[in-house]
Amino acid sequence: MEERKLSIPGALVGALVGLGAEIALREMTGLDVIEGILEIIGAGFGLIRIDRKIYESTVKLLKGVDIQPDDDYQRILRRIDELTVDLPELRESFLKLMAAGVRAKTA
Amino acid sequence: MLKRVLGKPLEDTGALPTRYYVHEILRSLDHDNIGEAVQLLRMSKRALVDKSRWEMVRQQVIFRCRVLKDGHSKRIRLIEKRIGELKKHGKLPWQWFQKKQAEKLAHYEETLALEKTAQALLEKHEIELKEIGKKGEGHPLKGESQ
Repeated sequence: MEERKLSIPGALVGALVGLGAEIALREMTGLDVIEGILEIIGAGFGLIRIDRKIYESTVKLLKGVDIQPDDDYQRILRRIDELTVDLPELRESFLKLMAAGVRAKTA
Repeated sequence: MLKRVLGKPLEDTGALPTRYYVHEILRSLDHDNIGEAVQLLRMSKRALVDKSRWEMVRQQVIFRCRVLKDGHSKRIRLIEKRIGELKKHGKLPWQWFQKKQAEKLAHYEETLALEKTAQALLEKHEIELKEIGKKGEGHPLKGESQ
């Protein structure tokens, strides 16, 4: 196997070129590219996490609705309609979840 | 760590990112702590960035409020029915001096008062949550704009 040689001057030159490119871009566009990219990545991960939590909470809320074992689909829908009369976004999420549940059951 | 150190002291200012508040609201909701969830929603109203997620969480809290209130209503109806039955049977001569009946009745009435208090509190929270949604400047709800 070929031995890998690390060049410190090469790394320094690379870092300087990167820094130069970053400064040049900042001067030309007014945007802080690296910080911006890091911010976007961080926010993206944060949003994925928060969306997962909101989803889990939605599922938990739906499970928490008082539903009798003999209730049919239409009755459950009516119940959800009553409880989400002025909550359009949540109602939509519930309906999507229920439709997914029905699809999974029939598949 | 940073969240634990800086989060609580800065919470009241509403200066923290919406994500922080959403996390905390969901945690409160998980424990059915509606009062705390309402407080956090009120605090985060001024620092809105992520409106859609904030709105979704607000609707979730309202929904939980309604489900809990529904449960209280059912229990209230049941207790009132039991009280009615006890009072009706208490009028029978052989039950006039029964201590157990009186104790039962007192217990039911106490529980009924607690249930009604809890229901009223949830009602208050629900109204407050609706107000929070309405008052948000530059934050019209989809339902209202239609």
